[in-house]
Amino acid sequence: MTGSVTDSATGRRTGRPTGRPGTRWVGGVAVLVVAAVTAVLPLVLSTSHLLVYTELLLAAVVTTGVSLLMGYAGQVSLGQAAFYAVGAYTAATMSLHGVPRLAGLACAPLVAGLLGLLVGVPLLRLRGHYLAFATLAFQLILLSVIGQQDSLGGDIGLRNLPRLGIGSHEITGFQGYAWVAWTALVVVMLVTRNVVRSRPGRGLRALATSETAAASSGVPVGRYKLVVFSLSASFAGLAGGIFAFFLTYIAPGSFGVLLSFQFVVMAVVGGLGTLWGPLVGATVITVLLQWLNGLGTQPGMPAYAPQVFSYAAYAALLVVVMLFLPRGLVAAGSDLYALVQRRLGRAPADETPPQGP
Amino acid sequence: MSAFLTYLVSGVAIGCTFALVASGFVMIHRVTRVVNFAQGTFAVVGGMTTASLLGRGLPHGVAEVLAIVVCGVVGLLVGAIAIGKPGTPPLASLIITLGLAIGAYGVEVVVFGDQPVSFAMARGATTLGGAHIQWQYFLVMGATLVTFTALALFFERTYVGKALTACSSNPYAARLAGISVLRMGLLAFALGGMLGGLAGVLITPLQPVSFDSDAVLAVNGFAAAIFGGLMRPGTALLGGLVLGVSESMVGGYVNASYETEVALALMLAIMVWRSARTPVSVEEAA
Repeated sequence: MTGSVTDSATGRRTGRPTGRPGTRWVGGVAVLVVAAVTAVLPLVLSTSHLLVYTELLLAAVVTTGVSLLMGYAGQVSLGQAAFYAVGAYTAATMSLHGVPRLAGLACAPLVAGLLGLLVGVPLLRLRGHYLAFATLAFQLILLSVIGQQDSLGGDIGLRNLPRLGIGSHEITGFQGYAWVAWTALVVVMLVTRNVVRSRPGRGLRALATSETAAASSGVPVGRYKLVVFSLSASFAGLAGGIFAFFLTYIAPGSFGVLLSFQFVVMAVVGGLGTLWGPLVGATVITVLLQWLNGLGTQPGMPAYAPQVFSYAAYAALLVVVMLFLPRGLVAAGSDLYALVQRRLGRAPADETPPQGP
Repeated sequence: MSAFLTYLVSGVAIGCTFALVASGFVMIHRVTRVVNFAQGTFAVVGGMTTASLLGRGLPHGVAEVLAIVVCGVVGLLVGAIAIGKPGTPPLASLIITLGLAIGAYGVEVVVFGDQPVSFAMARGATTLGGAHIQWQYFLVMGATLVTFTALALFFERTYVGKALTACSSNPYAARLAGISVLRMGLLAFALGGMLGGLAGVLITPLQPVSFDSDAVLAVNGFAAAIFGGLMRPGTALLGGLVLGVSESMVGGYVNASYETEVALALMLAIMVWRSARTPVSVEEAA
C-alpha cells in the first residue's frame, strides 16, 4: 500500500507547484476562502453544533499527524489516541497543580512528542503490521496504567478542570474553543506543509516506498521516521491538551481503541499523504456520523441504532475506500477535476495525466 | 505450592486459548501474508453464538459445533472482502479487516446485545496437589492439544494442507502446479475463522466476552503468534503458553491489575528483539 499510495498521491500536491502559473492563484484563493469560512462558522453555529465542530477540528489535528505518518513515512499507528490522552492528561494535571494554563497547553504537545520519541526508539524498529499491533499494545498499556494511577483519577478520571485562559481571563464559551482548535489546525497544517516540502520531506516519501533504497541514497531512515513519529505524537498531544480544557473532564474511557481507529479511518478516507485529506476525512466522517445519529435517534428506532449505525459507517467507508479509492477522496476529487478539464479540452499539453490507482 | 499449581494450570489454560487465536493468525498469514485484524472478532462471535444457542435450548456439543461453523462462514466472508479483489496489498488488507472488525461490532450489538455474555461448559472442579482446579481448564487444554495435533497432521499428511503450505512458500510456483492461490487463501480464512471461533467457545466460560473484547483477544493472540514469526503454529502454541503462564504468575504473585501490561510489554519486547535479528531487506522483499 505504502509505495503506490504515497508517491502518486503526494507528487502532485507537495512537490513543486504544478499546473500553469496562471491557475496557481486559484488554489491560493480557495485556501483563503476555506480558512475564512471555517473561521467565521463558530459565529453562526448553535451550541450543540459548536461542540461537534470543535471535536471535528481537533480530530483533524490528530488525523493530520496520522496521515503524515501513514502517508509520508509509510508507518501505521493504531495507537494515536494514546498520545491524545497524554496531551490531555499533561494539560489537565499541570493546570490542576497551579501551573499557568497556557504553559500546560504548551507542554501537552511537548510531553506527547517526547514520549513519542522515547517509545519510537524501540517501536520503530518494527514495520507494517508489527508496528500497527505494537502501537495498539502501547495504547492498551498506557490506558491501563493511567487507570491505576490515583493521582490521575484512576478509571474515574479528572473532573472540574480549569478553563483555558490567562490570569482571570478565561475562555468559557464554546466559540472560543472552536477558534483555539481552528488555530491549532492551521498551525499543524502549516508545519506539515513545510515539513513535506523540505528536503527531509522528500527523503520521507522515498523511505515510504523502500527503506533500503532510501538508505542507500543517503536518507537517514531511522532518524527521519523517529522525527515524524514524534511530530505526529505532538500533534495528537496538542489536540488532547485543547480537548481537556474544552470538556473539563477526562477519563481513560475517553481515549479508547476505537478513537485510534477513527483517526485511521479519517486519514484513509480523506487520502493519505495529502495536506487537505485529514480535514476532508474528518469532515466527511463527522457529518456522516451526525446525520446517522439524527437518523438513529428518530422515534421508533431501537436504542442501539446510533451506535450500530456509526460502526457500520466506519466499516463501510474504510472497506470501500481501501478497495476502490485507495488514494482517498482528495486524490479522487483532483483526478475527477483533471478528467473534466481534459474532456473540456482546456488541459495544458504539458500536464501529466493522473495515474490510476 | 497449591497456589503455584493453581496459577500454573490457569495460566496454561489461558495460554491455550491465546494459542488458538494465534493459530488462526498463523493460518491466514502463512497463506495470504495478511494479518487479519478480525481474528479477535471470530473468537467473540464464537463465544456469543454459543451462549445465544445454549440460551435457546440447544444441547451442549451441538451449540458449540454450530458456533464454530458460523465462525468459519464469517471467516470466509472476511476473506472474500479482504483478498477477493486481485492486487490488494497485504497492508491494505489489514486495514480492511480492521474495518470489518468495527462493522462486526454493529452486527454483534444487534444480534447479541452489548452486555458481556458467558455460559457454563464443564461444571465443577477437582483437587490436584491441594489446588482447586476447574474442569473447564482441562477441557481447554485437551481441546487445544487435539486441535494442534490435527493441524500438524493436516499440514503434513493431506493434499489440501500441502497445497496451503505451497501457497505460503511460493505462490507463483503453487499456481504453476495448478493450485488456486485465491481459493487456498479463502480456505485459510475459513479455517482461521473456525480456529478463532473454537478459541472463543473455550474462553467464554472462563471470562465473559462482550462485543468489544476483540481488541484484547486479538492483541494477545498476535503476541503468541509472533513467537513463530506468524508462520509456525507449533511455536505459536509455545508462545501462547509462555504468555498465559507469565500473565497468570504476575497476576497471582505481583498484582492482578498488571496482568495485561506484562503480557503486552512481553510481546513488544519479543517483537523488537525479533526485528533486530531480521535485516530490513529481507522483510521488504517478503
